[in-house]
Order: sequence, then C-alpha cells, then structure tokens
Amino acid sequence: MSIKVIKPTAAFASLLPTEYLELVADGPYASPKTINDLGTFKEIIAEHPHCAGCGVALGVRLTVASLPAPADTLIVGTAGCSFFGLAQAALNYSCSAFGNQNAVASGLKRMLKIRYPDTDKDVVVLVGDGGIADIGLDLTLHSWFRREKIATIMVDNEVYGNTGGQESGMTQEGQVLNMAPKGKNFAKIPVFELARVSGCVYGARVTVASPKKIGRVVRKAILLAREVGPTYVQIYTPCPTNFKFPPQQTINIAKKAEEGYYSFQEFISDDAQAYWEKNFASSTM
Amino acid sequence: MSITPYRVLVGPEGYLPPAAASRGILLPEKGEALIEGAIVPEEEAMQAIATKLLSAKNPFFFPGPQLLWDWKEGVALKAQAVKKLADLAGARVIPMPDYRPKYPMINPAVEINPNHPNLTIWHNKIDVCVFIGVHCHYANMALKIIRGGTSCYTIALCGEAGHEDAMISLCCMGMPELARLTEIIQSMKGEQAA
Amino acid sequence: MIEQRVVAPEYLFNEAEREEQFITGSEAVREAIKRANVDMAISYPITPQSESMHLVGDIYAEGYIKEYFRGENEFAVMSSVAGAAMGGVRVFTATGGPGTLRAFEAFPTWAGARLPVVCAFMTRGINSPLSIQPDTLEMAYMLDTGIIMLHAENSQDLYDMILQAFMIAEKPDVHIPVGVFVDGFFITHTRDRVKIAPPDLKLPPYNPYSAPVPVMDMENPPIRQMRDPFVMKSNFISYAAHASWQQEILAAAERSRRHIAHYLGNLLEAENETAPVMIVASGTAVSQSREAIESARQEGLDVGLVKLKSLRPFPTEELKAMTANAKAVIVPEFNRVGWLAREVRAALEAKVKVVGGPRVFGGMTMPPDLILDEIRRCANE
Repeated sequence: MSIKVIKPTAAFASLLPTEYLELVADGPYASPKTINDLGTFKEIIAEHPHCAGCGVALGVRLTVASLPAPADTLIVGTAGCSFFGLAQAALNYSCSAFGNQNAVASGLKRMLKIRYPDTDKDVVVLVGDGGIADIGLDLTLHSWFRREKIATIMVDNEVYGNTGGQESGMTQEGQVLNMAPKGKNFAKIPVFELARVSGCVYGARVTVASPKKIGRVVRKAILLAREVGPTYVQIYTPCPTNFKFPPQQTINIAKKAEEGYYSFQEFISDDAQAYWEKNFASSTM
Repeated sequence: MSITPYRVLVGPEGYLPPAAASRGILLPEKGEALIEGAIVPEEEAMQAIATKLLSAKNPFFFPGPQLLWDWKEGVALKAQAVKKLADLAGARVIPMPDYRPKYPMINPAVEINPNHPNLTIWHNKIDVCVFIGVHCHYANMALKIIRGGTSCYTIALCGEAGHEDAMISLCCMGMPELARLTEIIQSMKGEQAA
Repeated sequence: MIEQRVVAPEYLFNEAEREEQFITGSEAVREAIKRANVDMAISYPITPQSESMHLVGDIYAEGYIKEYFRGENEFAVMSSVAGAAMGGVRVFTATGGPGTLRAFEAFPTWAGARLPVVCAFMTRGINSPLSIQPDTLEMAYMLDTGIIMLHAENSQDLYDMILQAFMIAEKPDVHIPVGVFVDGFFITHTRDRVKIAPPDLKLPPYNPYSAPVPVMDMENPPIRQMRDPFVMKSNFISYAAHASWQQEILAAAERSRRHIAHYLGNLLEAENETAPVMIVASGTAVSQSREAIESARQEGLDVGLVKLKSLRPFPTEELKAMTANAKAVIVPEFNRVGWLAREVRAALEAKVKVVGGPRVFGGMTMPPDLILDEIRRCANE
C-alpha cells in the first residue's frame, strides 16, 4: 500500500485514539516484523475475544505476526472461531459465506493483480478446519487445481468450536464430540496430502508449540504464493473449551501431538525450490 | 406512499426507525440539499446548518476515515478546512477512525463507531453533530441509530449523493462548498456579535 | 478486437446510431458485454445460459475483458465474483435455474456487502423434478435477496438492460447487485432483431473510490476494516447495527428507482391504461400478451397492458395509477407458483380483481388464446 493510508492528516492527528497512534508509530507496516519481534511492536491483532488458552487465537496471532508484507496483505476468512480475532485485525479482512474463502480469494487476487500489476498484493486465506476440510473442500481444491496464487492457512482445532463442539472432518478417529456420540468413525481428512497432489507448490504442517516454525513456514508460503503458485500451511491449534482440558495445557498438548501424529512436515515443488534458492536463499528465516 | 409525508426529525424516534429512503425521501441533485426530508436549495441548507451549529449547546464534528488518513491528494487540505470550520463553529471533534465494531469496549470520550454511535452521543451529551468523510453506507447506518435512540440533531456533509437519514444533508461537497459554509458561519457569527 | 473509446452512458444508450442485427439472446449478451468495459467475467455452464458465458469468454480472448475463467460450480463462481467486486472492479456473470439455487447464499451476501455485481439469469425450471425447460420459478426465490431485479421481454431488452444495469448498480447511492432476468430458451435460443450501438464505443470505467463502502485493496482508508457485515454479539447494540445495515440495503434499492427511470424510461410501460381490463406481465409473458390483446381488439374488447420492467424495486405506485380504471387485472405467468400475481395483489390492495393466470410451466409455451380466454371472461363479467 501507499504508506499514506496509515498516515494521519495533520489537522486531526492529535485526536486519534491511542491505539491508532500506536499503529502509526509502532505498527508493522513501514518495516515488516517477524515472530522474533513479538512484544516490541504494535501487533495487527492487538486484542481478541477468544476463550482462555485458545489455540486458534495463538495460531492466528502468530500467523499474522509472520506476514512478510502486512501493508499489502488482504486476509479472506470464513465463519468460525478464526473469525473473532481477525475481525479486529488492522488490515483488510473479508468473511462472506461459510466455506467460500478460496473462491473469494481467487477473484480478489486476480483483480488486485490487474489493478496493481507492479505491487505484490498478498491474498491469504486464514480459516479453520471446518471451513477448509468440510464445507469448503471443493472450493479449496479447485483453487489449487487452478493454481491460484494464494496462500491457504488452516488453523486446525479438530472441531467446530464456534458452534459448540461438533465433529469436523479433521477430528481424529474415535473422538467423541457433539454429532459424534459414538466417536468419529473415519480418519482425519488428509488435506495436507491433498494439497501436495492438487497443485500446491509448498506445504507445511506445524503446531502452535513451535512458533518459530510457524513464522518461517507462513512467510515462505506467502512469498512462494506471490510468484510460483498456491501454498498450504496447516497449524494444529488445540481447543481447551471443547476438548475439556485446562487452558494452561494448550502448548503441552500441541507439543505432544507434534511428537506423534501431528509431526512437522514440509514439501516443496522443484519450481518453488529453485525460485526460493534464487531469491531468498540468503534469508535468515 | 403514505398520505402524510415522512419527515426526518430529531429523535429519539423509537425502537427501530425506518430508512428515510424507504419512506419516500429522495436525495438532492447538485446545488440542492435536504432539510428534514425536504429538498431545498443548497444555500438555504447551509444557512440552516450555520444556525443549528451556532445555537447548539454541545456541537461535535465526526470526521471519518476518508478525512483522518492522508491517503490521497487533497485530503490534508480538506481536513484542515474542516478543522477550521469546526473551530469556527465552536464545535469539538471526535474521530471515527474505522468501521469495525469495537469490542470489548469503546471509549466514547475519544472516538465514535458507526455500529454504536449512540454511545458517544449519550456519553458526551451531544445535541448537534456533523458527519463528514464517512463512507456513505456507514454514515446512513449510524444516522438511523442516532435518530432512533438519541435527541441529537444530525448533519451530513457528503461528497457523494447525500444522506436522507440526516436531518440536514448536503451533497457533492467539495472545497468550494466547504469554503461557502465557512463564510456563512463566519458572517452569522459576526451578526450575532454585533 | 476493435479499439474502443469511452462515451457517456446516455450517448451509448440513446444517441449513438444503432445497427440492427438478427441475433440470439445469447449473442445479445455478448454484444452488451463487449461495450460494457467489464474487468472480469467468471463462467460456469448450465443450460440455457451456457452459450452466453462462452461467448463472453470468446470476447475475453479477443481482449475486451481483462480476466475470465470457468469456475467449479455456481456457489464458487458467485463467491469469486464477490471477491473480485470487493477488489474494486466491474464484474459480470450469468446463471439460471438450478444454478441460481446452487448459488443462492451468495446473492444476499452480495447485497449485504454492497457489491455492484451484474448477473444475468437465464431462467429455467428447477429440480422439482429436474427439467431443463423454460420456467420463471427461480425468480420467486430471488425476490427477497436484496438485489435489484430487471426482467427483459426480448433480446433488445436483454442487451439494453445489461448495459444499463452496470450504471444503476454502480451509483454510489445504490451500489447493490442488479440481476437481469430473461426467460431461457424463448430468448436465449431464438433470433430476433436487436439494435446495437457501434462496437467502438464502451461505458466509462467503474470508480471504486466513490463506493459507499471501502475497497478491499489496502490502498484506501480505513485499513482496519471488515469488508462485510460482522458476526453479531448477543446485545441490543449489535441487533440495532445489523437492523440498520439491512434497512440501508433496502434504502439502496429504493434509491435505484430514479436511476432505473433515467436509464430505462420507467419501471414499467403501459399501453391503453384506461381500459377496464388490464394485463400485467413481465418477461416473455408480455409478448404473448401483446398477441392476445391484438386478437381481443379485433373482437372489440377494450384491454390494456402493463409491462413490468423492474420487479425489485417494485413499481407499486405506478402500477396503481396504470390500473386505476380497471375492473380486472390478468397476470399471465410462466411458473406454477404465481409469484407475480402475489406481487400485483399486494400492490393493488384488493382494490381491483386480480386474476392469477393463465400459468404454464415445465417448459410449456403460452398460447395467446389462453390469455384471450381470460380477457373474454373478464370483459364479460
């Protein structure tokens, strides 16, 4: 963006509420920040109404703090817990119908490319597991098949949290939840594997127990989506409210998952690897 | 069409006031304006705005994002002119920096939000307010809420088509119109002093 | 591609010398879009719409449109169209019948987000049971989505209304979607004489920064924005905000009346409106009514016609005036539910007898004799 969009007019600058003055002075727009800088700048999501210990809130916060160019990033969301923090994000955010995020993002990205051919406008999809794996799976896959240059990020809490704890396609087999009174009777939907065979040039699977990894893979996914093709990041974000564990256990549970069924995984296409090495090989992240 | 024409009067109008457009109020053409739902010459509306502002106990200007942020050429000058106008009218200024609903709390002493503008009006006991630089959709949304729940007299200075939901609305508001309104207030103040 | 120059909409619509071509309704869509200065079009096939959007694809390949692709289903297409419109450009798409219902959730979200999308609906039967034949049933569902609805009688209307729709939709005081409805097959698949403007003219471009809502591009304030209505909290303030938001969508449609009147002449057209028997119709039912009226006049029956061009907003006052002398109003329709008769009855407030019918559906044509029979019955009562 033209940094002017976040520059107050002189006539009214002194009247802006503190939180806006902080965004102007210490926001991540003029010089982008990384996860390592958390605590030293005014974050794009400064407050949120998520539950105590919410893994999704943490996943969203870490993702948004990892954006390589927040001044030119547009986030497309969908209904669900991921919405709550994002609705207050200090960047453009859209959330229209449940599950249509990758289709909305496709139209938006293509048009911004035409309106701003010389500026990288990063269109990032940031939604939950229900939005991607269930109701929006066909739209997600088709955006990948079409090679839309968008980064898709799933905050996977393995449940429909916002509606009160119902089974989702990403719930583990056997788990008892609302609408799965006898336990879920099929496995987690392999969205990560689907991404690999559906056109994504880069994919990563992480948990909120590894913030630095999140910082690295989110940045990589967005930078590769600019030039090479669709990318996918899946973040495990445990839900204390619906899985009935104490909020202080969120990171422990994520850590345990990372040692087991939610191990860190990454894939990259040859094209993306070549592009990365050529342009970002010296990058420290 | 109702037999008695709808009038856009100061509230509180009630639980859920209608959109004035849905009650047959039409927007003005360039050179015209709206006073309480009736189309009048722009000059007449400017006089009415001056009278309202100068006789108000506690007038406020609510500049919106299009005036608060220096995003394109001409905005800085316009903001300056609006600030001058507010000062001249003896009005204070509370900004509307954006449109997202403010959770968990808003500080109504320092900002106004289109989703719950009544909180700022009530808190500051505002009897006359001026909307300027607010995107039309959000202005109309807020103006109806104010008419429904407060006794604040609303004025909209709009650069586009104008606002039926304000009690007085100008349209096509540019720098010349702003200068003319300032001039009218200046001369009315002079008369009052004399 | 022919090099084009931008002209005032009024010039393109009313003054530029037109050439008469003998073309199908689908081709009329292509000719309209060629002159509409559209940034993006997104397609998905469904009978009887498919040809129109494939022809739009052809003119994209020629360079008339900046971006075009085929989406995966109608819900996805309407969502992609929304994303593009949020990005501040002029977009077009089309669907019909089951496609309309598959995409249904998108239409109120378009209106709610103040997106000036123009969509053509080539109507056909929906799955009740499955049919691909002409039927206007889907329009019943669309009446309360918040979008403006224009109904074309013929290919000429279709060509004109699509172009006019962009101008109406994009007015800052309106800025909600416009649906241009046309009866599938009867118009899309038949040839008719259509007068079209020279191909080297096009509409002025869309100006996103006059919109009543911010553009989603991180180039205009506020950057801290939610581009759509927000999730509600359970408190009165949130309810009031949402209610006021919805009222503003209705108000936008109200404000479109003057723009519709400016570009289309009026929301309805009437002939012989002092007659004791009036036919009120929209779409191709108007053409069938014209033939019936011709026969009725030969029999010495005095009958008039109201052609409704805009269904949302509905021309209630105009319709009352045009039927003030009538003792009976006949509403012929191409669907089983009679949605137009309901609208007409509600507008006329039981002051005049409204005959709901004749109705045909399932793909049937409407012989003018069916309408003539009703005229005779009403005239002799």
